[in-house]
Amino acid sequence: MLIKPARTLLCFLVLRLPAVTRNGIRWTSLEPHFTECISRNQETFRCWWNPGDFHNLSSPGALRVFYLKKDSPTSEWKECPEYIHSNRECFFDVNHTSIWIPYCMQLRSQNNITYFNEDDCFTVENIVHPDPPVSLNWTLLNISPSGLTYDVMVNWEPPPSADVGTGWMRLVYEIQYREKNTTGSWESLETQPHTQQTVYGLHIGKEYEVHIRCRMQAFTKFGEFSDSIYVLVTEVPNKESTFPLLLVFVFGVVGILVLIMLIIVSQQHRIMMILLPPIPAPKIKGIDPELLKKGKLVELNFILSGGGMGGLPTYAPDFYQDEPWVEFIEVDAEDADAGEREDNQASDTQRLLGVHQPIGHHMNIGCANTIGFPDDDSGRASCYDPDLPEQDALLLMTTLLPGQPEDGDSSFDIVERATAPERGDRPLDQTQTGASQTWVNTDFYAQVSNVMPSGGVVLSPGQHLRIQESGLVTEEETHKKGKENKGGEETEDKNPKELQFQLLLVDPEGSGYTSDSSNRQINTPPSSPVPGEGYQTIHPQLVETKPAATAEGNQSPYILPDSPQCPFFAPVADYTVVQEMDSEHSLLLNPPPPRHSPPPSLTQQHPLKALPSMPVGYITPDLLGNLTP
Amino acid sequence: MSANIRKVWVEVVCVLLCSSLSGVCSAPLCMNGQNGCHILSLSDLFDRVIQHSARMHGISNDLHSEFEQYFLPSKNQIGRVSRNCHTSTILTPNGKENAQRMARQELTEVILKLLLAWRDPLWHFHQSMAHHPDFNKFSSNKALEMSDMAHELRKGVEKVAEKMQMLGIISNSVSSLASPEAPLPANGHKWRLMKDYDLLYCFRRDSNKVQNYLKILKCRIVPEHGC
Repeated sequence: MLIKPARTLLCFLVLRLPAVTRNGIRWTSLEPHFTECISRNQETFRCWWNPGDFHNLSSPGALRVFYLKKDSPTSEWKECPEYIHSNRECFFDVNHTSIWIPYCMQLRSQNNITYFNEDDCFTVENIVHPDPPVSLNWTLLNISPSGLTYDVMVNWEPPPSADVGTGWMRLVYEIQYREKNTTGSWESLETQPHTQQTVYGLHIGKEYEVHIRCRMQAFTKFGEFSDSIYVLVTEVPNKESTFPLLLVFVFGVVGILVLIMLIIVSQQHRIMMILLPPIPAPKIKGIDPELLKKGKLVELNFILSGGGMGGLPTYAPDFYQDEPWVEFIEVDAEDADAGEREDNQASDTQRLLGVHQPIGHHMNIGCANTIGFPDDDSGRASCYDPDLPEQDALLLMTTLLPGQPEDGDSSFDIVERATAPERGDRPLDQTQTGASQTWVNTDFYAQVSNVMPSGGVVLSPGQHLRIQESGLVTEEETHKKGKENKGGEETEDKNPKELQFQLLLVDPEGSGYTSDSSNRQINTPPSSPVPGEGYQTIHPQLVETKPAATAEGNQSPYILPDSPQCPFFAPVADYTVVQEMDSEHSLLLNPPPPRHSPPPSLTQQHPLKALPSMPVGYITPDLLGNLTP
Repeated sequence: MSANIRKVWVEVVCVLLCSSLSGVCSAPLCMNGQNGCHILSLSDLFDRVIQHSARMHGISNDLHSEFEQYFLPSKNQIGRVSRNCHTSTILTPNGKENAQRMARQELTEVILKLLLAWRDPLWHFHQSMAHHPDFNKFSSNKALEMSDMAHELRKGVEKVAEKMQMLGIISNSVSSLASPEAPLPANGHKWRLMKDYDLLYCFRRDSNKVQNYLKILKCRIVPEHGC
């Protein structure tokens, strides 16, 4: 608090201190003096004076300016050529300005009192303060890779008052910059004579203030600073790096869409099937697919009831020829022979058990999609593969189709074939040895006399088995063998599951399951020991019914055995054959034959539990327990 | 023989050193288009001499600033010149317009006169600087450099004058001044009476004059780039 008055006192005293000049010390109050003499273009100059403390001299005209131009020894003091009293300024125009010649300035009052100071002598080139440069401009040079700093090129024009064109004035420039809203000191760059300069290392996001001043080359007096310009560079989102990525993505999607459209348009079947798998339409063998469409129920019923052509044709219809995934079983009509019932006793079983797989040359495996045989874990080729006949489908096909007079040879062929691979060499031997076996059977049902806990089903030897050997069979066998070898571990899994299908029987009457004794099958066809052996070997095998097959419609109820081993039963029940369909679309079956008592020979070979009276309905689980030993 | 060889070798070394001491890299000017010589255009010659004069003026300014620290610094570098400069007898244009109005030939002559007038004083200035106890080696080197530069600048301006005469820009009267046997001005020895400081002050002023005159001359004769 006390400092302030002390300061003012000190300042006052300093001002009052004697002025030390070259002439010596003299006590002076502030007398009139020249404050400054400046030239802007080295062609004219001005001088400003101050009356000082002498207030009586402050009025304009009270003081007069005289100058001495020492261009000759006889020069004299002359008065100011041009007064500007408002500014207390004396202006020397071009005619009165000489460079490289010393000038001395003097103030004279009305009283002829002269106020002169030696320091007020000069040569004009030494008092040049150039005007500031004009037209300041900046351009961005580059941004650093880190994106934090950038470089800027500042360019400007020399002051218009300075005659740089003729070289009369050679100027050097000095740039200074600082951050805008700070009151810090200015950063100044080295003076250089060009009208542009690069400023390096400015920070992104910060605004900078830049101004420039200039001076004459090899002289010391700078002019005033120019007006400031502001430099600001903000972050620019780098669209360039993401732009090509977006472009690539868009083009990729468009290209894929175009490709898909082309595929759909060109209707390449194979690719179409991959992209748009066909939805299976309802197909019934022997019925025109047109009838299966909506609104044609009357015609369908008519056909199903046996009208028109007298039932479903036995030949494979041509309706589905154009659809390659539909394959039908073609069974020879001659094989349907009721006269060979003797052989048919074993035929069912043997067919189901599948020791041999002689298949008629007409045999084609039809894989109607409606029959949902599982083909995933059987290890066999899919339905589309015509080389590999599906035994399961074969069996199911023949069993499910009602009223087919054809025998179920094909089905049993499947069975035989299914069971054969599991035994490795033996079925081959059997196949080779049992050369004379042929499939003969009129009916395609095999009566299941018993169901084993292991999943095996005991079939009744209701029909003879006539096994036919054919090269096709062997080929298929070898083919299957080859497949089995390929399958490797899958065969073991395959075979039990194959066995499942052979055991799956359908009783359209719903009379339930029937079980056949293996003994009966084995013993009844003496001419065919092989199937019996095959059957015997089947016995210890683990058989499991496929649960997936149960998903198939109402016509294929399966028994799911829950115990691993079960002995075969003596065949007691028998099966029915669909005779005809009455007018009410119900199936008329043959009356069930009397039950056979289990022959004593059967018990010799296999201890089979005799099945009690066969229930008409489905076997319930508790009854299933009766079946198992 | 070995002594002669040694002398020649020393001379070669001396020449090399001297040329390096000159401070300004200057290729030898070609005479009449000799082989292996790069002929400079008038514009290039002017640029060279202007560069020389700028450098020379800069050195003189530096030396003058150094001198001033031994005296009370004057406000406008006016100094206290006891006598006029010895070159004040040479009529020189005192302003831009005067310089532009002056004929090219006269202007060239003025330049050459000025440079010639300073040939001896600068050399003696350097000598006195070298032996003066107040000034360090650095200042002495600068004085030497200044002296050499003035010498080379004069040679360069003579070459420019010759080129201009060849091109017909100016008449042949300048050549009389260019000869080394040119008589010194009447008051040529006046400079011996001047003090070193005054010499330096005067030379600083005169070097600025030379620089300005050369620039004006160049922009009048070959006005491309830089005018």
